[in-house]
Amino acid sequence: MNPVLRIRNLHKRFGELEVLRGIDLEIAQGEVLVVIGPSGSGKSTLLRCMNFLEEYEQGEVYFFDQLVGYRRGASGRLVRDNPRHLNKVRAQMGMVFQSFNLFPHMSVLENVIEGPVIVLKEKKEAAIGRATKLIERVGLIDKLNVYPSKLSGGQQQRAAIARALAMRPKAMLFDEPTSALDPELVGEVLEVMKSLAADGMTMVIVTHEMGFAREVADRVVMIDEGRIVEIGPPARIFNTPTHPRTIDFLRRVLH
Amino acid sequence: MQAPSYVWHFGVIWDYRAVFVRGATVTAQLTFWSLVIGLALGLLLGTLRSSTRWFLRAPAALYIEFFRSTPVLVQLVWIYYSLPILTGLQMGNVASVSVGLGLHAAAYFAEIFRAGIASIDRGQTDAAKSLGMSYFQMMRRIVMPQAVRRMIPPFINELATLIKLTTLGSVLAVYELLHEANNLINNTYRPLEIYTALAVAFAIIIYPFIWLSQRLEQYWKVRS
Repeated sequence: MNPVLRIRNLHKRFGELEVLRGIDLEIAQGEVLVVIGPSGSGKSTLLRCMNFLEEYEQGEVYFFDQLVGYRRGASGRLVRDNPRHLNKVRAQMGMVFQSFNLFPHMSVLENVIEGPVIVLKEKKEAAIGRATKLIERVGLIDKLNVYPSKLSGGQQQRAAIARALAMRPKAMLFDEPTSALDPELVGEVLEVMKSLAADGMTMVIVTHEMGFAREVADRVVMIDEGRIVEIGPPARIFNTPTHPRTIDFLRRVLH
Repeated sequence: MQAPSYVWHFGVIWDYRAVFVRGATVTAQLTFWSLVIGLALGLLLGTLRSSTRWFLRAPAALYIEFFRSTPVLVQLVWIYYSLPILTGLQMGNVASVSVGLGLHAAAYFAEIFRAGIASIDRGQTDAAKSLGMSYFQMMRRIVMPQAVRRMIPPFINELATLIKLTTLGSVLAVYELLHEANNLINNTYRPLEIYTALAVAFAIIIYPFIWLSQRLEQYWKVRS
């Protein structure tokens, strides 16, 4: 089966700083890929390039064989994709952010139906029906009409996951989803993510939660200074890392 | 010791109430048209100034800083007296004041728009884009509803200033509240009563907007 995401020779620079220096990566249908690495290694940038929130200038990102952010011009060169098509591609990938980014002027329910109603043009009643089930699934049914500022961080993040799921995404991108949470709230978010993985959702997760990675990931990829230094099943990466950078990084985060 | 005696005759206000109503009508007209011009042009300027392209940003910035750093009175006089000489375009005094105040207010509204939109967190637009929203959907559903809430207090401030600035119309012989009041003083020799009434008239016009702004802030505080 074709990979869900295929990344070829991806480069990204911020001015002088080259954050990604040639990433090649494929994510299979139903795979849970966990991205680890020191801060500043480029792992969040890599994730944000996958739905073109970050505009890469070299290399290619394919989502189900569609280029993300670009299209082939007549000459074969890459030209900027038109916004409508890019939005269609983005709508098929859910994203969950470190700082939740719920819409503060909308209740939990309104946040979750926003994408389906505005982007997918679903009927409001139908969207509310589906949203209610998703909100129940993430354990927030009693917070349906509550505004985000009245929720804990863990509740906000679970609502944000429901909002992303409401778009019926073919893949989910998680950008350090538990890094902004108080330690006692991390578990409830990871539980929701585990249940998604168990349902066969394709997931790319940038995280520092090594226990979660070991338990849930199909593969773990270690990134350092914009390059993939090691990739493999969690048992191998965590138990017998081979690259000195990985060994050094794991020593520091696991102690 | 006795304070200098002055016998107030507020009856004169009631006698000439029609003059105040007439003046207030013109004040309202000036405010309305300068507001329309100011908002439309301000929205355009604010958008241009937020642009990433320097050749759009620079002229907007120049306009804004020019109008913010020169006196309105000079701008009005210039539009009424100098513009016809330079361009042959002669507007009536009411139109001149409306346009002049509109051009002036636009500079301030532009800054309110720009700052309001710029104050919205990057995470909000990231989230909107990740849902596949178009630029206009994002602005309409996510950015503007939040930005407008932050724009209301400075906007009401600027509106109150604009209403008071319409009194400069008296310099171009526009019969707004101040000009009517001055004429009335010439006829009745009752400046203290009439200026007091003038102050009250402006307060009656302006206060409802301030009240509304405060109510809106309260309303939104509950819903966020």
